Amino acid sequence: MSAMAFRTHEVPDDLLAAIDYCYDQGWTDGLPVVPPVVDRVKAMLGADSRPPDTVIAKHPATGLDLSLHAAAVNAVMAGCLPEYFPVVVSAFEAMDKPDFNFHGSTASTGGSAPLLIVSGPYADAINMNADVNLFGPGNRANSTIGRATRLILRNVFQMLPGISDKSTQGNPGKYSFCIAERARGNPWPLLCEVQGYAKGTSSVTAYAGGGFCNVENHGGNTPEQVLGSVADAMANYGCITLGQAVVILAPEHMQIVAEAGWTREQAQAFLFSQAKRSVEGMKGVGKYRDREYDTQHGEGAHALAETGFVHRGLTPEDILITMGGGDAGGHSCFIPSWSRGRGSIMQHGAIRAPQ
Amino acid sequence: MQLYSPLSTTPRRKAVRAPALPKIDGLRIGILENGKLNAEEMLNEVAALFVQRHGCTVRTLASKKNASAPAPSNTLTTVAQEVDFLITGLGD
Repeated sequence: MSAMAFRTHEVPDDLLAAIDYCYDQGWTDGLPVVPPVVDRVKAMLGADSRPPDTVIAKHPATGLDLSLHAAAVNAVMAGCLPEYFPVVVSAFEAMDKPDFNFHGSTASTGGSAPLLIVSGPYADAINMNADVNLFGPGNRANSTIGRATRLILRNVFQMLPGISDKSTQGNPGKYSFCIAERARGNPWPLLCEVQGYAKGTSSVTAYAGGGFCNVENHGGNTPEQVLGSVADAMANYGCITLGQAVVILAPEHMQIVAEAGWTREQAQAFLFSQAKRSVEGMKGVGKYRDREYDTQHGEGAHALAETGFVHRGLTPEDILITMGGGDAGGHSCFIPSWSRGRGSIMQHGAIRAPQ
Repeated sequence: MQLYSPLSTTPRRKAVRAPALPKIDGLRIGILENGKLNAEEMLNEVAALFVQRHGCTVRTLASKKNASAPAPSNTLTTVAQEVDFLITGLGD
């Protein structure tokens, strides 16, 4: 790779001045960045064997491309180590799939942020956190992979707050929104296995997350009680749409569900059947639409879609469920999808671990 | 100290406006609604003004499921054969 092939900026040999320079250029998310010096960018690029001008994602509205080189520059700025880079790359390759619609999900008033869920052995290999304080703060890999995602959206794709990112209220996840799936003690197959990747291959799932809803239940001791709390969160009038859902069960909650013998598929079916609102109720809050009801109940409708009710999602498979968080506490979470429905469909991709 | 630019190295795609119609009197209108709440109502109101003021006729109403994604090319191709201009916009 030639350093001359990509644009450079000369700044004084003073790190604090370089940080200020990055601010002055409008390259940050509001927090200080690591100045993207040439050597660090080259080291980052060493984690991917392809040429640095390889395009890994395209912005459909502006025509701007994301090259490996630009991804590496932003990963350095976010504070990533080179071994994190394959996750950043796979995340954008997943988001580049048309059904993710990352232009819409990042530009919208709905204010979603790409949630990344890393599944498989690579999460441990780079010391990601799947345990206590799952959503942060505190872990470098989780924090900086998520932050690199935002910096790329900002710097490469020019999704600038207030200009091209019109989110009404923003979203704390727009700073960073990245977790690892907890493998330790997880009674269900890992996501990377369910997604069909070969043994030993890790994956990253990208989901346009519209926020974070804590689901507290310390008294329930049956799957129906625990998941009933989750379903209620999924169906609250502020959140319910035909969109997908992500549910991260705390280990305490997962233990209750799994010890009763429930599989992931059973839990998905229960949540789909219970996360619903009546047509009258939806009309009462002004959110009912014939078109959406017909989509859910028309030809090809899932057998669990109950007449007279609007469910969250179209099928149980629309609900991603896995485990994460610390051993103590009856705190799970539900993460709603972007805004009003199915404008973005979650995608996943294999992580190319460096050889 | 030398820093790499974090920006895209590809030039922005140049957006080109469609040429203005020399006149709109009596032309055929298409409506492309984007699925948002109130979009169809608002666009019909706009179309009604063209009908009232310029003698236009509304020929077709096309829909797209995703407000923030481009309309499918086959939708645009079909509509283009039936109308002289298309009205679209958000309806929030």
